[in-house]
Amino acid sequence: MKKIMVPYDIRHETDMVEPLDFNRRSRLKEVDRCFKAEITNVIRLTDMEKLFQIRMVNDKDWERFVFLPGQFVMLELPGYGEIPISFSSSPSIRSTIELCIRKAGKVTQALHKATRGAIVGLRGPFGTYFPMERMKENNILLIAGGLGLAPLRAPISFVIENRADFKEVNILYGAKEPSQLLFDYQYEEWHRIDDINLEVIVEQPDKKWIGPVGLITKLLDDIKVVPDKTYAIVCGPPVMFKFVCKRLSEMGVPMQRMFVSLERRMHCGIGKCCRCNIGSTYTCLDGPVFDFWTVMNLKEAI
Amino acid sequence: MLFKTIKKQAFFDFYFPDFQCVGPKKVGINNNGKPIYQFLPFSSFDEIDLDYETTEYSAKTYFLPYKETLSSFEFKEDDWTQNIKYSTRPRVIIGLHPCDINGLIKLDKVFEKTLFPDPYYITRRQNTFVVGIDCKKPCDGGFCSSVGSNTVTHGFDLFLTDIGDRYFVKIGSDRAFNALQKIKTSEITKNDNELYLQTRNKFEDGFEKTVRVENLPNLLDIEFESDVWGKWGDKCLSCGTCAMVCPTCYCYGITEHISMDFNKSDKIKQLYSCNLNDFAQVAGGHNFRPEPATRLKYRYYHQHRGFVESFGQPLCVGCNRCGRACLSGINPTDVISDLQREQKR
Amino acid sequence: MKYLGIEPQKPKIAVFDFTSCEGCELQLLNKEETLADFLNAVEIMSFREASSSSSDDYDIALIEGAVSRNDEVKRLEKIRKNAKVLVALGSCACFGGVNRLKNEFDLKSANKEVYGNNPKETINVRAIKDIVPVDIEIPGCPVSKAEVESLICHVVWDSPFQLPVYPVCVECKQRFTTCLFEKGQLCLGPITRAGCNAPCPAGGQGCWGCRGPAVEPNYASFFTIVKEKGFSDIELKEKLNFFGAFQEVTIS
Repeated sequence: MKKIMVPYDIRHETDMVEPLDFNRRSRLKEVDRCFKAEITNVIRLTDMEKLFQIRMVNDKDWERFVFLPGQFVMLELPGYGEIPISFSSSPSIRSTIELCIRKAGKVTQALHKATRGAIVGLRGPFGTYFPMERMKENNILLIAGGLGLAPLRAPISFVIENRADFKEVNILYGAKEPSQLLFDYQYEEWHRIDDINLEVIVEQPDKKWIGPVGLITKLLDDIKVVPDKTYAIVCGPPVMFKFVCKRLSEMGVPMQRMFVSLERRMHCGIGKCCRCNIGSTYTCLDGPVFDFWTVMNLKEAI
Repeated sequence: MLFKTIKKQAFFDFYFPDFQCVGPKKVGINNNGKPIYQFLPFSSFDEIDLDYETTEYSAKTYFLPYKETLSSFEFKEDDWTQNIKYSTRPRVIIGLHPCDINGLIKLDKVFEKTLFPDPYYITRRQNTFVVGIDCKKPCDGGFCSSVGSNTVTHGFDLFLTDIGDRYFVKIGSDRAFNALQKIKTSEITKNDNELYLQTRNKFEDGFEKTVRVENLPNLLDIEFESDVWGKWGDKCLSCGTCAMVCPTCYCYGITEHISMDFNKSDKIKQLYSCNLNDFAQVAGGHNFRPEPATRLKYRYYHQHRGFVESFGQPLCVGCNRCGRACLSGINPTDVISDLQREQKR
Repeated sequence: MKYLGIEPQKPKIAVFDFTSCEGCELQLLNKEETLADFLNAVEIMSFREASSSSSDDYDIALIEGAVSRNDEVKRLEKIRKNAKVLVALGSCACFGGVNRLKNEFDLKSANKEVYGNNPKETINVRAIKDIVPVDIEIPGCPVSKAEVESLICHVVWDSPFQLPVYPVCVECKQRFTTCLFEKGQLCLGPITRAGCNAPCPAGGQGCWGCRGPAVEPNYASFFTIVKEKGFSDIELKEKLNFFGAFQEVTIS
């Protein structure tokens, strides 16, 4: 069939070829572009967990990198992969971020070999956060199970820095064995300097252990809560926060005053890949921080 | 919306230089003697058939390729640089049916109109000139009229309806308007309108399959533990075929590949399917959806509840490509009507 | 490249062939565009098809082929002792491969059929993992060079090495292949592990399952489909047994 009649080239239209200047709501134009960051220190916490201190290679990038407790970042190890990690440090420290990472998968395994000076990539920050401002003038219950203390350390830092704004502060922390306790070098400081009541419990004590033994819910026996004056943040594996939140509910704390952080394997972090969906809620956009009422209403969350 | 009519022959004179032209090509015949079509690149209009019933695959791959390099890292000493390239190749896709264009509109919502617009998708979408065409008759098992995807009002550049010797043309963009300036078109007459409506009415009357979807967001919640999922889940091969042929399924996974000279690493996005075994697996090996049934349920849950909550319409466009492609015979109309029955009992 | 403070190690590899066609070994020398880099990334200590030297000092042993003689058992055990990482390369090494068809027959008559009046010492064909522990398996007939390269990266950089968990159907769809069941053919694609990029269906041949089962395949449903499409148990069995990769399942 004959062709050739009207040469028409859409490329002549303006704004066609290059990505558009996206609407203002987006802070990232190139969604896959990483901030370059350097590992400045690696602190061994336990056999399985290390704390990585990371700073931006370009100081200017800090201007675009403002996060809140509870949010997460996509940590890129070129060649290995990208993983979602919750911040473990205070948002107000504008020089270094800290990420506490367990050796669990293939990427984290490689990361555990990294030394000072290694260059990694950061995308983010992404996701929802703990509403710390709303919690001010209240009693705070910070409850962590196992690795849950890693994300919980961000709100803990916030509370410590704004200690006068909060009333009674309790940290309840449970782990399987004493050797698995994270950040144990900080407990004394939290307790003695920051006026925080800290209770630690383990399931399987060793010979040196003198503290309480059992499940984390046991620690709640000795806590008195004023339901309408208390907020709770619960971080840990699903079974743990399910029981803790149920218990807190029985103690009268409204479900909207309990916050949990959910773990899913995000691939994109920007609400596209669907890998983190719970039912059909994007954990990366609508979470990872949810109030417990929302979690109760999410199918397959727990 | 501006309308014109154009003589069929005149349309085939359209020429897009240096464009990749894609259209419905016949690639074979199936067991039942029915022709199989796919959207494939062509160089002459002779190669395509605009009267095709449906295609085996959707055209989404031209917007969301099955495999795509998001970025590459080049290593130097201890350091690396990240390179990102967007595909800006101009392309014309001719012959998209309303379901496909509605599929694109839904993908637009996900990739263009959300918090993080996706430059990979947007560059492809913006650089593609979309020419749609109305179906002659409902396709085998299609239920697009049930999900409001049997007509389109936007999302295309040109949209054709066959009204005998001419096409009734909807003009969907300024660039399409400009293009039409250069070929012979006619203004529409009352008679053209009449012909158009007749054609459409005849099409609407041809539907054999209908399914109620407006109650699904509620129903899917109530029937979360229903035996229906087990029944269909037992059949499911977890092969991902449904998601691959679907015009709207957009889930993906990302992997990285180091080159053999160890100087480069590519970050590759591959379209995935929520039906595949490790879709919801997290570090350490825990799988949030270990059984085929829960994965299948999730697919319906996302399409007919989650997407409705976010965007006010189901993700499904009713093309039944998944239903036709599924070896186990799992198709949306049967699964959904099964659920509805469960509800009535 | 030195990244994350990891110094690249040039792994010492050795390639050994057992009962096989040596096609997988040939495959190691394929893919010209990266062959030089591939050979540069490793130190070949022993590889009959590519090098005349031979040494027992190696880290990684790539094993091609199945075991079908007693002396092969002893040789394999010795290799296992020397190797830090033992990789089963290809369908024969992973499952027994086409050789395994021999097990369907009486050993004596099979011997007679092949060797006539000069019988050879022979035993039932077994996969490598049936004799010694295997660290990594790369199935396929032949093995995919891309996966071998990925394995080398994994060894050098400890980068992730994972075979796809999903079945071949995904790859057929991703290259626009029309389903072979549509064309009246039997295909093991829905239960077979992907990673080969589905060349057989694209060429009009139903999948023979050379890469073995995908993760948790739905056998029951698949067998029902096959029956419904009018294929007999014999046809299905023939396909399943061809590479010996589906020993885990029996047709009910």
